[in-house]
Amino acid sequence: MSAAKLLEVRDLKTHLFLKRGVLKAVDGVSFDLAARETLGLIGESGSGKTMTGLSLLGLPPKPAGRIVEGSVKLDGRELVGLPEDVLVDEVRGRQIAMISQDPMTSLNPVFTVGAQVAAPIRAHGLAEASAAMGMAVDELDRVRVPSARERSRDYPHQFSGGMRQRVVAAMAIACRPRLLIADEPTSALDVTIQVQFMDLIERLQAETDAALLFITHDLGVAASLCHRIAVMYAGRIVELADATELYAAPKHPYSQGLLASVPKLGRRGERLTAIPGNPPNPLDLPSGCAFHPRCPHATEQCRREAPPAVQVDGGGEVACWLHA
Amino acid sequence: MSGYIARRLLQGVVAIVGALLIVFVAQRLSGDPVALMLPMDATEEDFAAMRQALGLDRPLPVQFVVFIANAVQGDFGDSYQWQAPAMALLLERLPATLELALAGLVFALLLAVPLGVISAVHRGGLVDRVAKIFAMLGQAVPGFWIGLLLILFIAVELQWLPAFGRGGFANLVLPAIALGWYPVAAMTRTLRSSMLDILDSDYVRMERAIGLPERWIVWRFALRNAFVPLVTMIGVYFANMLGGAFVIEVVFAWPGVGRAVVDAVFARDFPVVQAGVVLAAVVFVVVNLIVDLSYGFIDPRIRHG
Repeated sequence: MSAAKLLEVRDLKTHLFLKRGVLKAVDGVSFDLAARETLGLIGESGSGKTMTGLSLLGLPPKPAGRIVEGSVKLDGRELVGLPEDVLVDEVRGRQIAMISQDPMTSLNPVFTVGAQVAAPIRAHGLAEASAAMGMAVDELDRVRVPSARERSRDYPHQFSGGMRQRVVAAMAIACRPRLLIADEPTSALDVTIQVQFMDLIERLQAETDAALLFITHDLGVAASLCHRIAVMYAGRIVELADATELYAAPKHPYSQGLLASVPKLGRRGERLTAIPGNPPNPLDLPSGCAFHPRCPHATEQCRREAPPAVQVDGGGEVACWLHA
Repeated sequence: MSGYIARRLLQGVVAIVGALLIVFVAQRLSGDPVALMLPMDATEEDFAAMRQALGLDRPLPVQFVVFIANAVQGDFGDSYQWQAPAMALLLERLPATLELALAGLVFALLLAVPLGVISAVHRGGLVDRVAKIFAMLGQAVPGFWIGLLLILFIAVELQWLPAFGRGGFANLVLPAIALGWYPVAAMTRTLRSSMLDILDSDYVRMERAIGLPERWIVWRFALRNAFVPLVTMIGVYFANMLGGAFVIEVVFAWPGVGRAVVDAVFARDFPVVQAGVVLAAVVFVVVNLIVDLSYGFIDPRIRHG
């Protein structure tokens, strides 16, 4: 991607200070995102994908979560450390918005969907009450909610899961954010609805010129949508590469393991390879490279030292001693 | 929704008939009313004549039907003390009781809503801790004792507000506080815990992620959800205040239904007591019906369900 950088994340660390200890949910994540680019953030649950997304919004879970280090720059403006009211007024919803995971629980049950889509428009001062309602109907129309005007007066429980997710998307794009974060937006949907929603997201992104950070554990979904993909493990990005490059030639042993565990069409009877072992206990991460206990190539160095991210052939970055 | 209302209405009718049955049976169990009405030296013939006049010589089922038929028309007989229809005596005092109960409810809500919300938003903070102490006191200290303290300090020592009787707003303040005191604790705790759940919900997270100001999220989007469990409580406590305000009414010499019923108990004025029991049952049923209906306004899922 040669376009100008929209988002620059450097060494971001978000830790959760729990009674049982410090959970390093995001532990030194760096990546860039160009305008209109789609970056996939993939990894197992607990790898820190969602926490990374929330950190970009300055919304680590309270009261335990805190961004302890690092920098998030949007259009060159540092977001980490901005006061809460500035984040509310100028950043969340306005410049960065998030489509959350579960459409069934992401809408307020006692307000009409129209009122909920109009809320960010009013909150960010784009329009007053009745005009905001009109704009909300336009947004519902944009996300292809049929007969948007009538349906804007309905409540969430009167919509199907797929339609609810569209309403959530309408809330997120209502103020035309520069960056859209989609946190597993399709995991809770039926497969056919998933495909529709992915098409919709792609179209919305094109129409609103937003960059997209697509968080998922589904490699197939990521491959079909994303320009580049960042693979997360235990709070860090272990590999970041062009989507085609990553699928053709994954460099990090974890990426290789992930791809080997995905069933492929036309290869019936072939055994799937699972990554041995379990994801590490996030409160007690292994020394050195967090993946070393499960890695077939682990060496003494892997146990001692965490590998830095280095540029590799093909333009990607890998954090692995095999490539250092 | 209409089927639901019909069902609730029917349940209400059953409850009121139940109350009538209890009143009817208790009346027959509590001894011979004729003995109470006639002078000590009345003859056996006088008794028989009186029983016949009152219909007490007829079989119990017949008596019950007659009783129900009269009760439906609001006829519970005349008060022995006042020689006037018992129900009319009480209905005359209903506005005073309603006024007090509403004032008590408003006081409770004015205190419980901000306390509950702020306790949830700043969990473990100063307000939360003060509210906890408040809740403990509220549950442990009976309303009538609070009433006595209020009279002693506010009315007698400081002479800020009148201690008894019904009149203007000033008369209403102390009894309303004494009456609304008890529910504050429970309402605060209920609101706090449902607000905590809601502030942790996915939709609040979504509302934050699109940059809605926190005060909108708390006082509009979350609070309306948190009201659903609170409304149940409001119904129960309001009905209790209407039907059970007699202690406070006695303490503050408030001319309400409760006090009239207490007076009637001491005077063995059975028709008034019976009318009071039935009136309380009707009020309870009506309030609960209103509560059931109001769910629909707050929560559309119930309206359409």
